[in-house]
Amino acid sequence: MKFNQILPLLIVFISFSSIFAQDTGKVNVGFESNSQYYVDDAVTGDFTEEDNFRSNNYLKADYTINKFTFGLQAEGFAPQAILNYSPNLDKDVAVATYFANYKSKKIDATLGYFYEQFGSGLILRSWEDRQLGINNALRGAKISYYPTNKLKITALYGKHRVGFKVSEGEIFGFDTNYDASSENNTLQFGLSYVGRYHNTKDVYLADALTDKRFENLTNAFSGRINYAKNNIYANIEGIWKSKDAVVELGTVYSDKLFYGNALLLEMGYSKKGIGFTTTMRRIENMNFYSDRQTQGNTFNEQIVNFVPALTRQQDYSLANIYVYQAQPKLSFNPLVKAGEIGLQWDLYYKLKKGTKLGGKYGTKIALNFSNWYGLDSDYNRDFKRMHTKFFAFGERYFTDITLEVRKKLNKKNKMIFSYINSYYNKTYVEETHGIIKSNILAVEWSHKFENKKSLRAEAQHLWTKEDKKNWMAATTEFNFNSHISMFVGDMYNYGNDDTDKRSHYYNVGGSYAKNKTRIALSYGRQRGGLLCVGGVCRVVSPATGFSMSINTAF
Amino acid sequence: MLYLPQYYLFNRNKKYKTNTIMRKNALFLFVLFVGFTAFAQKTIPNLTLKNLQGKSVSLTELSKDKTLVFSFWATWCGPCVNELDAIAEQYEDLQDEKGFELIAVSVDDSRTKARVKPLVNGKDWDYQVLLDTNQEFKRKMNISTVPFVMIVKNGKIVYSHSGYTPGSEEELVEKFVEFKK
Repeated sequence: MKFNQILPLLIVFISFSSIFAQDTGKVNVGFESNSQYYVDDAVTGDFTEEDNFRSNNYLKADYTINKFTFGLQAEGFAPQAILNYSPNLDKDVAVATYFANYKSKKIDATLGYFYEQFGSGLILRSWEDRQLGINNALRGAKISYYPTNKLKITALYGKHRVGFKVSEGEIFGFDTNYDASSENNTLQFGLSYVGRYHNTKDVYLADALTDKRFENLTNAFSGRINYAKNNIYANIEGIWKSKDAVVELGTVYSDKLFYGNALLLEMGYSKKGIGFTTTMRRIENMNFYSDRQTQGNTFNEQIVNFVPALTRQQDYSLANIYVYQAQPKLSFNPLVKAGEIGLQWDLYYKLKKGTKLGGKYGTKIALNFSNWYGLDSDYNRDFKRMHTKFFAFGERYFTDITLEVRKKLNKKNKMIFSYINSYYNKTYVEETHGIIKSNILAVEWSHKFENKKSLRAEAQHLWTKEDKKNWMAATTEFNFNSHISMFVGDMYNYGNDDTDKRSHYYNVGGSYAKNKTRIALSYGRQRGGLLCVGGVCRVVSPATGFSMSINTAF
Repeated sequence: MLYLPQYYLFNRNKKYKTNTIMRKNALFLFVLFVGFTAFAQKTIPNLTLKNLQGKSVSLTELSKDKTLVFSFWATWCGPCVNELDAIAEQYEDLQDEKGFELIAVSVDDSRTKARVKPLVNGKDWDYQVLLDTNQEFKRKMNISTVPFVMIVKNGKIVYSHSGYTPGSEEELVEKFVEFKK
């Protein structure tokens, strides 16, 4: 019997035996199922792969007794995982993660799979996002110790989860946080270390190379300070990563070694009725994967650190066609890139009630601006040499201005107006070609009827002279009560130069929610492209079909 | 660029078909599942989260001897913001008249965390806000999508609801009053 079969059994044994004990403990169970039935379609094409019906299922159970928690997550991908999920998710039903945790006032220790984040995550983050197919939990051990309530020390060791196996690379982590805050201000310090050990003999090198000059162990160090007083706050974080080989399209160049680094600065001012924040970041060669060869993989597997795009996360469908992704990598082919530099501003403001612009209920305004460039550098492409400048803006990658105005008209009606202007450098962001400048206008209206019924309708339009040209979209949602909801929506690429490609991407569906259970059904066309959540993206293929999702918890 | 590295070509098409081991596994999981649900209890986990002032707040202590609403939200989630906006409009009255208290748990990760404080202030929300940056609280409660609200009485979860539709805040208040008794 293997180790990973023993632990679940141990958990079962302990949990069942405890039924007879006096303290029966607490249990949390959650279940999620997402299924698709793909059909042939004139626009998205025939479904030519095996298994029209596909399903991703997750069952998670935690059991807490006294200071101990035992948990496991079983996953099933039967008969196969939904399109565009990793081929490593290849089992019908199996235990995917499990853990045993002990937690007291001074100690928090975990054996098995765990999640963790150091600082902002730029040096280490392991987390789960089922929609994106991300689960980079570490399998190993983690211990946090609190000598005083001002100090926290964490040490960890683990291997990243890859499907139902673990990575060949190993991760060592050490993190310390000290809180020197007083009554009326916040002052916190943090220091972290992350080591990635990946044996060079497991690496397929570029053809001409036999000499492995890089180290098995790559070291990264980071430091951070958080400060807040009265209405202002400022956070700074810096990271340095030791020399590591350049990886291009899965090929490791063992003789081309570069350092990596990152600097993140956040400042803000806020008080009642107004909030302003600015975020600046410079990242250079910050791709960091457990297994070097998986760098930049589509499935976001084996990611050590979290480098999100620092732009506004848009919620309208047309505003999610040209989505920026952070550019941490250093490469010479197919394009020369060294990293990214830029900033983001956010302003939230409430126009007071009773004023001319505020009206009876007040008007809420949100303004966002983000601007990102490639790092400028001197380089020699043939010899793969690069010298970056600290503060120099290269190619412009992305600019985005969003203005949102929320207005309550009366007790029954609310409106939201949004305007987005964006510049998207597809050549660099997606490594294909084109620069897309676009304008989007979206209007949303919600209306409350008697008897808890409500209606929400949105209309959007995207103007652009590039790529697939203009789009329009509309969605209507009718809520019978807080439990039952129906929607119908369409995105129409009416401006496409190729009249055959002037497609409708319609969707119709409904959902039922009660207590912790939610069931949603829909039928429609999915536009191929990037699906992004939290600054991380997954490629989705164009497809048509039925979707069903069930979430429940006990 | 997103592409399929060579590494994946080695692992492709290795699809294991259902066999006896799988069925055994499935049966085992089913038994486990039933075993667990048989004595499931709904309580709030013993976690400590940071508030907007950077101070640590223990969930167990927070919900001791009172009735509270926890609302899981994110700055990028339209319906979440709509829900909290709708409650904010009448929050003062609800607090005074009904003893209503809402804790807004932000599940924003480091991408959008910096936006939480200015948004809360800019919108003039009076809620206590907790930061669940790596989603430990959300994961422990098995919440897969936001918005998600739950009413907690003396540390026990007595009501929960996922999703927001205009007007469902009224039902939340009704339920709160019902459970607070």
